[in-house]
Amino acid sequence: MSAKLSLKTLLFHLPILLLLFFAACKNDDLEMVKENENIRAGADFIKNNYQLSLFSAAIEKAGMYDQLNGAGPFTFLAPSDAAFNAMGILRASDFDKMNRDSLKSLVQRHVLNRRVILQDIPVNGVDVRYATLAGTQVYTSLASNFRGDPTQVINNLFYDGAFVERKDVQLTNGSLQLLNKVMKYDSGTVQDWLKKQPQYSIFVAGLKKFGLWDKLATPGPFTVFAPTNAALTTGGITAAVMDALVPSAYNGNRLFGGYILEGKHFFISDVQVFSAFGSETAYLKELENDTWCTQLSVTQANDQSLRYALRLKKARTGFSYTTSSGGNTSMVTVDYLTDNGVVHSSTGVIAKLADARK
Amino acid sequence: MSLLRRQHLGFYIIALLLITGCSKVDYVKVDSPAYLRVFNNLNYEKTLDSKDQEIPFLAMLIDPVMDKDGMPVSTKILGDFLDQRAPYAPPYPSHIGNSTTVNNPEYPGKEDVLVAPVLNGFDLSSWAQIPSGKHRIVFLFRPKNTVPFFELESRLKTKVLIDTTLVLDEKEVYTLNVLQKDYQTKKNGILLRHENFYKLPLSDSLVYVNFYNLSSKGYWEADYTGKGANIGNKGALGDGIRDRMNVFYTLYRKSSTESSLSNYFGKYLGELKRNTGEPDVSPYYSFPLFADPLSDGIHTDIWQRLDLLAPGMDPSSKPYTGIQKETDNNWAPISCFANGTLPLDIIRGDENYVLLPNMIVNIHSGVYKSRSFATVNTIEIVNGKAYLTTIQRKYAAPIYK
Repeated sequence: MSAKLSLKTLLFHLPILLLLFFAACKNDDLEMVKENENIRAGADFIKNNYQLSLFSAAIEKAGMYDQLNGAGPFTFLAPSDAAFNAMGILRASDFDKMNRDSLKSLVQRHVLNRRVILQDIPVNGVDVRYATLAGTQVYTSLASNFRGDPTQVINNLFYDGAFVERKDVQLTNGSLQLLNKVMKYDSGTVQDWLKKQPQYSIFVAGLKKFGLWDKLATPGPFTVFAPTNAALTTGGITAAVMDALVPSAYNGNRLFGGYILEGKHFFISDVQVFSAFGSETAYLKELENDTWCTQLSVTQANDQSLRYALRLKKARTGFSYTTSSGGNTSMVTVDYLTDNGVVHSSTGVIAKLADARK
Repeated sequence: MSLLRRQHLGFYIIALLLITGCSKVDYVKVDSPAYLRVFNNLNYEKTLDSKDQEIPFLAMLIDPVMDKDGMPVSTKILGDFLDQRAPYAPPYPSHIGNSTTVNNPEYPGKEDVLVAPVLNGFDLSSWAQIPSGKHRIVFLFRPKNTVPFFELESRLKTKVLIDTTLVLDEKEVYTLNVLQKDYQTKKNGILLRHENFYKLPLSDSLVYVNFYNLSSKGYWEADYTGKGANIGNKGALGDGIRDRMNVFYTLYRKSSTESSLSNYFGKYLGELKRNTGEPDVSPYYSFPLFADPLSDGIHTDIWQRLDLLAPGMDPSSKPYTGIQKETDNNWAPISCFANGTLPLDIIRGDENYVLLPNMIVNIHSGVYKSRSFATVNTIEIVNGKAYLTTIQRKYAAPIYK
């Protein structure tokens, strides 16, 4: 009875035993999920990218290759080769002309000490600040949607006024954002910055003459549209004219005050970002104790580069302007960030002597 | 033996119950309370001009303790994460169950505090109990994040918006508004209003409403795009209204502006003056709850349209059309319809209104699935935005059959 039962049990379990028997065979061709080995660490990725050869050269010359291949996480705000070319850096050897510490600081200022991708940045966030490896901060502005309509997504992203052409490239040690220009920063005030640049000497002399110079050393912030010496000379204000100028005969606010926006911290891209929030395409600000206004407007070219125009308007409403206008079509000589504001170079003047004569 | 064990077990259970059953419950109690509700009226739009200003995201400290450097270290009452107020301040604290953020559109709002009782029939659960007497009250700017105020870095706890004292009387109802007094100089202030609706002999068959214009000085004169008047659905009100306006109302049936009630078209309610300095309570105006002759006396679906018009104009003679958003600050319509988010049936030429919820509360009460209740309302106009505060009476609980 018992033996019969065990045989019956054996027969009953036979299919399972057979299954186990065949399954026990060694199977070398079994496909396993393999981790993708194609993803590279940040510095490697940049080195292997033809669009980023100059940034890669900068990393190597700054001696940061190994650090940036390390664990991170990092966010690489990598300017494209075109961005370096626009600054006059055409080949890797051009970096040799730079001080190595400045170069290192430049690279460090383009790397965040955390991983930031688009969805980490607050929707429609303006001036969101992230720390860089250099200990400085970058100002991040994102226009998420058009006119506040969540269905119209645009996601225009700028770091320190530089447009992000390609977002969220994933790396093993962080992410990469491709910038269309190199972010500029100098420690010190707007005043310090202007003092160091000889091409603004007439402008600086004018600010000093009309009592507008000292405030540029205060906390501010200030946005300054600095006309170059060439621009002022073309506008009839040469160094000699400036020396001979009698301040009491002119309205200094109209002659030079219009280039300064007090209490404002504007990158050129900010006008573009805010035009997406409302229909504000130009910014108007009255001069101090005056009805004349500074008008800042920005247009975007097909290649996403921004150009600004600055004009002096004789009243908030209407269309009465001075005859000359400032601005800059190049995105290289704008968005100079300092500790108390931003400076933009202007290739024209907004007021000639005749406009400001009392 | 087993009997003994059972007895032991019984003893242990009783002992356990006795030990755990006795715990002292300390009920939170506020002695001689006053009732306070706080709104942050510092609304703003994201414009280039406002970009570099401090964001009015506030922390309210009542009777704070400061160290020798003036740094707040603790406070008796804290109203943290005080955000811009919502367009609708409902008659009960509904925000707490309806959102996932810490941002508080009013105080007490989402705060877990003792609230006021039913006073003369009015449900005051949106008012917090505060000890009566003299208080130091400080509003501070705080960064827009989810870190509680006292855990912030020291440098972020020093931006004082206003530091003042106020006196609250026992069992009185107050509404405190944080507001901007001057649009050009950006001077801020507070306005404490001693409410009186619970002392007035208000009928429960009339809907009451009063108006305040808490706009800052110079808002309506400021530049249209510069103040962000075109951003959001602010209609003609976005540009601001003049300092003195008249209010007219019209009652409509159905969800369109086609079918006004013939006796309630363009009727004059009263005057509205801009006021950020005097804490006076504006007079309450009323209209009948069952103004619609077709209603059954239980439920009504009428809704309200308010026209704010400059003196000299009335709803039928105004020289503007309903598609104009720029009306020279002379006309701003407000529609109180449904829950304040549903758009009205689209009618050509009627687009420049601001939408707020209906002043009449419709809810299941008693055996009636939808029963209409009259309320007491306050409409506040602040710099191009309109806010509705509704106060309702206690109503009978629903009976489900």
